[in-house]
Amino acid sequence: MADFRKLVAISLMAGLLGRLLLSVLQHYQTLPLILAAEQFETPSTEHVHDWQPIDGWQRNGFTLLFNGLTGFGFALLISASMYWRDQRGYLYGLGWGLAGFLVFFVAPSLGLPPELPGSDRAELHSRQAWWLFTAAATAIGLFGLILAKQRWLQIVGASLLALPHLIGAPHPEVAQTLAPEALQQHFVVLTSINNGIFWLALGAIAGRLMRKVTFA
Amino acid sequence: MKILTASTSISYAKILPGLCAIVLGLTVVLGLGFLQDSNNYLHNAAHDGRHSAAFPCH
Ligand SMILES: [Zn+2]
Repeated sequence: MADFRKLVAISLMAGLLGRLLLSVLQHYQTLPLILAAEQFETPSTEHVHDWQPIDGWQRNGFTLLFNGLTGFGFALLISASMYWRDQRGYLYGLGWGLAGFLVFFVAPSLGLPPELPGSDRAELHSRQAWWLFTAAATAIGLFGLILAKQRWLQIVGASLLALPHLIGAPHPEVAQTLAPEALQQHFVVLTSINNGIFWLALGAIAGRLMRKVTFA
Repeated sequence: MKILTASTSISYAKILPGLCAIVLGLTVVLGLGFLQDSNNYLHNAAHDGRHSAAFPCH
């Protein structure tokens, strides 16, 4: 399990560095949009007693913590994949970063675009279920399509990539957004760019760090 | 000692450390991205991060 500890160390460093970059981008680009959209939200009376972080350093601190921890988690997936396939170096890392971006951002976003607070959406659990199913199907599909050598496995892989989108994401009967449409579109574009930059940076950093250690 | 999978081979000794890393990574990501607590503490703390990462949030 010495190898496991090395993977954790690599992922801590790569995850924190990659997410630090993302947090800076977010702070100046997407977070102002979230705050702007909240101005259009009617305060819901049922949640009025819930604790929530105070706007400012506390709220940003929790977002930074969320970013750092999820960056660590994503980096573990990349470094473990490279470890299994005996790969190291930033070029392999970029490839895995691109795969992570497709699995965890692009594929789910095709059906459920990143949304600003205040948008009217289908029930949460059905959206979460579709999101998870899409990420899993895309991960397995990509694996079959790119890494398998048999024709039939590649066909199964391609079908798995398409399946979630043929089923379709859950949507509310009447779509309605409180924030202006332009704000929503701006948010989708910026989150896509930011998350793309994050995933490629995360892969490259993790790949580079894989060269620094020797595994058992 | 090698086992053959569809297109590649992984030595037995590498299965467990890699699997632990994958399980830990998925637990962290999915826990922070998807858990809804009854008091909304976790949701409210993770809210901005979830929206920015395109997780379904609320
Ligand atoms: Zn939320």
